[in-house]
Amino acid sequence: MLDSDLNTLDYHALNAMLNLYDGDGNIRFDADRMAARQYFLQHVNQNTVFFHSLDEKLGYLVEEGYYEAAVLDQYSKNFMRKIWDEAFAKKFRFPTFLGAFKYYTSYTLKTRDGQRFLERYEDRVVMTALALAQGDEDQAMAYMEEILSGRFQPATPTFLNAGKASRGELISCFLLRLEDNMESIGRGINSALQLSKRGGGVALLLTNIREHGAPIKGIENQSSGVIPVMKLLEDSFSYANQLGARQGAGAVYLNAHHPDIMRFLDTKRENADEKIRIKTLSLGVVIPDITFELAKKNADMYLFSPHDVEKVYGVPFSEISVTEKYDEMVEDKRIRKTKVNARSFFQTIAEIQFESGYPYVMFEDTVNRMNPIDGRINMSNLCSEILQVNEASKFNDDLSYDHLGTDISCNLGSLNIAKTMDGKDLGQTVGTAIRALTAVSEMSAIDSVPSVRRGNDESHAIGLGQMNLHGFLAREHIHYGSPEGVEFTSVYFAAVAFHAIRTSCDLARERGESFNGFERSDYASGTFFDKYTDRDWQPESERVTALFDGITLPTRDDWAALKADVMKYGLYNRNLQAVPPTGSISYINNSTSSIHPIVSKIEIRKEGKIGRVYYPAAFMDNDNLEYYRDAYEIGPEALIDTYAAATEHVDQGLSLTLFFPAEATTRDINKAQIYAWKKGIKTIYYVRLRQDALEGTEVQGCVSCTL
Amino acid sequence: MKDMPQTKIPRAINWNRLDDDKDLEVWNRLTVNFWLPEKVPLSNDIPSWATLTDHEKELTIRVFTGLTLLDTIQNTVGAPSLMPDAVTPHEEAVLTNIAFMEAVHARSYSSIFSTLCSTKEIDEAFRWSDENPHLQAKAKAILDTYAPGNDPLKRKIASVFLESFLFYSGFYLPMYWSSRAKLTNTADLIRLIIRDEAVHGYYIGYKFQLGYEQLDEARQQELKDYAFNLMFELYGIENQYTEELYDQIGLTEDVKVFLHYNANKALQNLGFEALFPPEVSEVNPAILAALSPDSENHDFFSGSGSSYVIGKAVATEDEDWDF
Repeated sequence: MLDSDLNTLDYHALNAMLNLYDGDGNIRFDADRMAARQYFLQHVNQNTVFFHSLDEKLGYLVEEGYYEAAVLDQYSKNFMRKIWDEAFAKKFRFPTFLGAFKYYTSYTLKTRDGQRFLERYEDRVVMTALALAQGDEDQAMAYMEEILSGRFQPATPTFLNAGKASRGELISCFLLRLEDNMESIGRGINSALQLSKRGGGVALLLTNIREHGAPIKGIENQSSGVIPVMKLLEDSFSYANQLGARQGAGAVYLNAHHPDIMRFLDTKRENADEKIRIKTLSLGVVIPDITFELAKKNADMYLFSPHDVEKVYGVPFSEISVTEKYDEMVEDKRIRKTKVNARSFFQTIAEIQFESGYPYVMFEDTVNRMNPIDGRINMSNLCSEILQVNEASKFNDDLSYDHLGTDISCNLGSLNIAKTMDGKDLGQTVGTAIRALTAVSEMSAIDSVPSVRRGNDESHAIGLGQMNLHGFLAREHIHYGSPEGVEFTSVYFAAVAFHAIRTSCDLARERGESFNGFERSDYASGTFFDKYTDRDWQPESERVTALFDGITLPTRDDWAALKADVMKYGLYNRNLQAVPPTGSISYINNSTSSIHPIVSKIEIRKEGKIGRVYYPAAFMDNDNLEYYRDAYEIGPEALIDTYAAATEHVDQGLSLTLFFPAEATTRDINKAQIYAWKKGIKTIYYVRLRQDALEGTEVQGCVSCTL
Repeated sequence: MKDMPQTKIPRAINWNRLDDDKDLEVWNRLTVNFWLPEKVPLSNDIPSWATLTDHEKELTIRVFTGLTLLDTIQNTVGAPSLMPDAVTPHEEAVLTNIAFMEAVHARSYSSIFSTLCSTKEIDEAFRWSDENPHLQAKAKAILDTYAPGNDPLKRKIASVFLESFLFYSGFYLPMYWSSRAKLTNTADLIRLIIRDEAVHGYYIGYKFQLGYEQLDEARQQELKDYAFNLMFELYGIENQYTEELYDQIGLTEDVKVFLHYNANKALQNLGFEALFPPEVSEVNPAILAALSPDSENHDFFSGSGSSYVIGKAVATEDEDWDF
């Protein structure tokens, strides 16, 4: 394609040129920049409603019911002019086509017919800052500063909805328990509908539901097991979406030792019967340590009827540790059981992962060992990064609550590691982010699901994530997964943990209140801090020390002082960190996703709303390509090593995707899972595969097609 | 080979003794790529379908009936007609797989129809495909070559042209829609079909080249002339077909460039030089880039992607469980 043609192409074609090398074998970054520019010239500018002044704009948007008047009423006109002026003075520009396209397609406020834009990027940032600051002018300025600079990016539900009059919830993620009775299952489906309607993914725990063929009211062979419940949930999620903004999405988790486990996995088989095939619901398997031990011995693993377990122990199946009670349950005649070979169970998981990318995996005992909070974690969420304790609810015959338990919600936001490092003030950036996320928790009250409301009120759980690790390392000419890369990850995450806890402790002191159960946590006893007061978490190599030049890192003494403060004043948030996969927001924020390696130098992104679009990795140019080896080249071990370094300092989980070439075998996947488990990884998210085109059938000159 | 007396004893196929390694390689590729239309959540495209104009809907349905016809031919006549010419038993096995997958493809279009359209629209489109002169002309040109008693290598030429060239005037449209964020799940399904057809065209072309190399120069020239003549004939028909379909939405020029690109590709599969110079084969980057299913990073919640395959199951060994 000749350069002179660039002006005649539309923005989609220009963007697609990213995926095709030019005549000299270079990647066409210029074409993508041109695509972003053309997108504004050809589409955005022509379709944006013009206002003469800020006052006119805000007046109109409030009057027409687009903006929530209560948000703006908290501030003076003068202040609003000031914050908007400062925001526009920063001259924000989208560096990539996908960033701009994604923002204008999915986030910005549009007229009700969806045809014209009412906001620019700066407007969305300021409205988010104003909504979260709840009238505090300094805080609003700080939020605007952190978000517009790209250091902090609230998760999609917050960034999409804040300040809008008709909107979904600000929270990203919900996790619900189901118990072994119809009332709980019915309530769960109702809650799934309600939560999907308001936005946010929902995960449900199926472990406690009795298996296929179990007795009901003592009559044998009555229960249909977990599959029909999954079918109901799948249909519920596709029915409800957030005003069409986001499709409802859900996940279900099942313990590996549940008798329906093999049926559960088979729902994702390529040749599954239509009656049992699960297309859009995500699956997760909860695997305890004992399953690994049994596989090591090449023994059979027993599967236990949840109904019987609950009768024998008086608590739902999900409340007991299978590892701890395994031998006891095997010996107990009252618990009916079946068995499968443990290694073939792992192999089946890998087979299904080949065919569908599912299931997610949660390593139950690792998660609970590393949980500083009193209680048991028995499930994760749609992106496998939320790990919190929950409590069962009990229902009366009229479906009202006999006992209101707690379910889990989490609002997320991520730091751009490169921008945060450039900003040099980790304390300020992390602190502002923690306060913004806490504000979301305080502003949210999900009345339609009382167990979620209670959980949020009592915990103020939040999840601060990170993104752009690969982009940052590559910009600094460090290979992802190299010893320096892993060392940086460890030091960075330790520092983030410090400032997150510091801020939450400040919040507890300011509000005179800690999360419910603080006194029974490892924070209150101080044992949580042992690993930080017993050793240093400072950079060792010269290379990594240089990266932190000008940045103050917490010392052992700082940690000891923090420990004393926490034991004295408490913590406001029960959970602080969780590293989500960051799809959409990393495109807007010009980051590489999460702390993953890139999937391709030029990523082909496909979504329902935006179609197929091409995205260049952050900071990549034709001269530093060698630092952008993709996830398939890097391989699972370097990725797991990087995640293990971060996991150490994250109280919840991290979405970890494994990447394999299609020529890999199920054994390769199993080996990576074993390695991850050994290294203390808490959860595994998707398994992704890449199949290289058969030689002779490939698309010539395509960037994402070549190794 | 057709003159060979049919007195061979029936022999069991032994995959452990290969005359041509390519047979196994392609067999493996085709089997790991096995899929059924049920895996793609087509119903997620219903809102997007509703945004198309009536004309765009009609065009889309017609394009798909046209593709259905080609897949039907390849399933019931094309691939089976190549089987008697197979040189190795493994080649026959690969061809049965190809035939079956063509049936899956033809079946897939009906899945798209039943998800998105009314029965009346579907019936009308099938009637259109029965009556459209250009569509019927290309079907006839191919079917004539497939007729019993015809030259086996000519059959392969026709087959490659069908797999690597004739499909693409139709494939263009879903790729175009998906680059505009429309019908993206349908495009996923089509991409799975493209993934298969690319291998089919490549494999049949490869077998053609093996036969072609054995021939004397005169026979080679005859076949080459035949191939280019057939390509000209089909290209003429495709041009008219393209104009009829795409004129109204103004994409004809773009589709024609895509035809040139694929005509060259089809000839390349047969081992022949390109027919169209590069200047007229520069496909719109959005379409070209859309063709590759590799490493697509889809969002799992709105689609299933086109990069998953059936994996090779290998049991773990004791050493893997060393902890």
